[in-house]
Amino acid sequence: MQVELELNGDTERFEAAKTDSLLDVLRKNGYTGAKRGCDTGACGFCTVIVDGKARNSCVVPASKADGSTVETIEGLGSQSDLHPVQEAFVDNTALQCGFCIPGMIMRSTALLGEDPDPTRDEIREGLSENLCRCTGYEKILDAVEDAADRMADESGAVAADGGHPGSGCDGPCGCEPGGGGT
Amino acid sequence: MSKPDESGEDVDPDDGVVDLQSEDHPLERDEPADNRKSAAEREAIAAETEKYDARKIVTGEAKYTADYRTRFPELAEATIVRSGIPHGRVIDVDTSAAAAMDGVHAVITPWSEEVPDTLYSPSGQSYPEPSPWDTRVLSEHVRYVGDRIAAVAAVDAETADRAARKIDIEYEEYDAVFDIWDATDPEAPQLFAPEEVENETTGADYEQNLESHFEGEYGDPEGVIADADEERVLETEWETPYQSHCVPEPHTSIVYTDEDDRYNVITATQVPYHTRRQLSHVFDVAIRDIRVVKPRVGAGFGSKQEMVVEPVALALHRAAGIPVKLECTRREEFYALRNRHPMDLTMRTAVDEAGDPAAMDLSVRENSGAYGTHGMTVASNVATKAFPLYPRVPNMRFEGDVVHTNLPMGAAQRGYGAPQGMFVVEGHMDELARQLGEDPIEFRKRQAVREGDLDRAAAILKDDDRFARRIRSCGLRECIERGAAAIGYDDIGQPDDPHRHRGVGMALCAQGSGVAGKELGAAQLKMNEDGSFVLQVGGVDVGSGNDTMFTQIVGEVLGCDPADVVVKSSDTDFAPFDYGAYASSTTYISGRAVKKAAREARDRVLEWASRMLDEPARDLETGGGEVYSEESGASVTLEEVGYESVYGDEDREHIMGQGHHATDESPPPFGAQFLTAVVDETTGEYEVEKLVFAADCGVAINPPLVEGQIEGGVHMSYEFATSGTLQFGEAGQPETVGFRQYGMPRPDEQPPIESIVVETHEPTGPFGAKSIGELPTNGVPPALSNAIRDAVGVRITEIPIEPEDVKAALAARDGA
Ligand code: FES
Ligand code: FES
Repeated sequence: MQVELELNGDTERFEAAKTDSLLDVLRKNGYTGAKRGCDTGACGFCTVIVDGKARNSCVVPASKADGSTVETIEGLGSQSDLHPVQEAFVDNTALQCGFCIPGMIMRSTALLGEDPDPTRDEIREGLSENLCRCTGYEKILDAVEDAADRMADESGAVAADGGHPGSGCDGPCGCEPGGGGT
Repeated sequence: MSKPDESGEDVDPDDGVVDLQSEDHPLERDEPADNRKSAAEREAIAAETEKYDARKIVTGEAKYTADYRTRFPELAEATIVRSGIPHGRVIDVDTSAAAAMDGVHAVITPWSEEVPDTLYSPSGQSYPEPSPWDTRVLSEHVRYVGDRIAAVAAVDAETADRAARKIDIEYEEYDAVFDIWDATDPEAPQLFAPEEVENETTGADYEQNLESHFEGEYGDPEGVIADADEERVLETEWETPYQSHCVPEPHTSIVYTDEDDRYNVITATQVPYHTRRQLSHVFDVAIRDIRVVKPRVGAGFGSKQEMVVEPVALALHRAAGIPVKLECTRREEFYALRNRHPMDLTMRTAVDEAGDPAAMDLSVRENSGAYGTHGMTVASNVATKAFPLYPRVPNMRFEGDVVHTNLPMGAAQRGYGAPQGMFVVEGHMDELARQLGEDPIEFRKRQAVREGDLDRAAAILKDDDRFARRIRSCGLRECIERGAAAIGYDDIGQPDDPHRHRGVGMALCAQGSGVAGKELGAAQLKMNEDGSFVLQVGGVDVGSGNDTMFTQIVGEVLGCDPADVVVKSSDTDFAPFDYGAYASSTTYISGRAVKKAAREARDRVLEWASRMLDEPARDLETGGGEVYSEESGASVTLEEVGYESVYGDEDREHIMGQGHHATDESPPPFGAQFLTAVVDETTGEYEVEKLVFAADCGVAINPPLVEGQIEGGVHMSYEFATSGTLQFGEAGQPETVGFRQYGMPRPDEQPPIESIVVETHEPTGPFGAKSIGELPTNGVPPALSNAIRDAVGVRITEIPIEPEDVKAALAARDGA
């Protein structure tokens, strides 16, 4: 069967088997950022954003995903131009082996989309579908708090300079968007 | 227990040196002048250097083994067919239906010509492995539910799974044994016939299902305990369960043959070089014809200190004739692969008239499961890691039985016997202090190891003194003090509800830095003409940040930015040898190798700069990306040196440095785990409120990464104490096959963890560093047992600690 996705802003058509999950379709087509940790919806390593909601893509049947809007880690930021959530994970050393991280970042991004200023307990709650074996979660919680601050600063900056997001931060000026924040 | 006569306040650290002298283990030690740097002098080390692979991880571009699938136009995916019975012999495997299916490339069984019959040990250990050779690629004689019988490679995983379900296996069933005490009964079913195993270790007796029996002692522990009054002897019994590694990335390998007709293995491993050697042995292929490459690895925690699926993938590749990927499922990870060994332990101590421990005697019975990988070595580490907390106890004894059962095999797991050892020793010492009427923390402050001590306990199982060690760095007392302050030890307060009681518990922890006398790390550093460097190093980064640490060491030696060091690691064709990532060895061993390589390269850099500046090399220093003269103030940049050395008119040289490191030293890092717990006296329920771990790992090369090791280790330790374990049915059937059943703590279930880094200086380590990877995995079970004891006066000696156990203990306390 064919599956059509609005994937990271582009319309994509993929061939899929009946039994394929959304994770299968993504990984078979080179979107390997989402990881397979359990294939049963229990670890969150495969988290992507489907129609605005963070979902464990291993338990989303490909047929159900047909026609939906999907955001994956590949669409977030690039190594030289990180998204604030990615930047916060890097600057807080909130990662070790990294296997959980693409899923963790997608979940965090969705969480901050719904609640831009969560408490630490709300972050714990919001990330409860996602496991991490390496970090004890502390630095991940730090990173999400920090990401919330960075994103608030950015939208603050938008208001203050009349709606030019990131102006003064794109060039090689050496400034640290979000103030470094570690 | 009677109270000691003196309180033992503030022992003078100078009387810390045990008066046992040993010329082989002097306190003083030559240390290169550049090894000890004050905080102000450090440039690249101890700084918050961005993790080397951070950007590719957060963008999803980091490639783990399964992500390499996109490189192969044709790639078969594989499934392993596993035993459904705990013990028996496979009589027949009917593969005809599976083999006939569309899309199936190969089906292999123990009798396939591509499947060698060779015995081997899967343990990723030095050669010859101290673990028995008791494993075959596929088994006729199956010894647990999950043993490998057959495997399928097909066009995709789904097809391989369907084909696997069509394979019919006929067994002759044998009796099975699941209990470690039943297993040594002469009547018990025997797991290994003599011809089914080669085992060089002491005390193996397969008629009794004993993989190993060992004992060691010094002084006269038996005599001291026998002579002591009854009230001066304390005996306690403890039990620890299976723990899953919950390794994030399931075991995965891709095997193919390259255009040079060599086997290439891309694999999630901690031990690329051991795996290459073992594949060569199993398949009788020359080492030169095998290349093992470790890409990014989704952590190991010991589960990948093993050659687990590589031989099955290689056999399937031989049968299928095309590249094969074998990726385990989470279900397999839980029931069929590797775990922490369960143990039953007994500890006895005798105290002298002054109230100091005079003798310690620890015995362990370990469940090795169906195979012996790491069985004896993990069991021996129970005491050789925990006893060194108390090296002045003059009479020590340790014995162990390592027993086979028809359950999943134990293996290496972060801590490697030390978590079980610390549970017993630190739970016991806390109980001893309380029964002596002493503050358990003050008691241990007085008794515990100090800088200058000669530790013979680490070598208690050795025949001679070679591996006794001088403790040259020990920040244990600062760990205790800072941990106590962070947890609020002096005033923990009590909940309002009279049924709820808060207690505080502490456990000391120790580990090693590599396996003493059985490690080798090697590195080569090449300078690029722009003043950057390429580091080739065998050291294996499975996520904890070793690649980053290596760049910092190079940066510190050469005065360059760590970001200017490109790391190429863990590829057996391109990287120098390394034993692998285990035993907390990478910073200490491989880090020293890198430092030596960097120093050699630096000598050449200085030589070239000396010619360019026309000043003697001895007047030159490196720093800030330059070589400069303290005498004249003149300088050249590393880039100028790089270009001159490669493109110079008169002479040319590729500036390189090589280093390797091997040693008998394995200095222990130390730590103190604190926690508070509130216990409900009516229900036995308890809640851990906060976890604090203070660690002395020498000089932390990268403090945030060290904190990450602490927090992750404490998380695993918290799980070991409270939730994780595997359940089996009466016939050995696995009942725990997923994360949710298992109970790995989720973000909303994990109590907050505070990490404290206490700096000491270990003169034998690179820039004063010791290890950190395993140490923090050791403390929560004893600290929790001690906190519950503190809160409600009962001693729990079995983990995971269940509310029912606490409730039962409370009922017993109240005489119900
Ligand atoms: S792989 Fe999807 S939740 Fe684990
Ligand atoms: S960083 Fe390894 S699982 Fe989260």
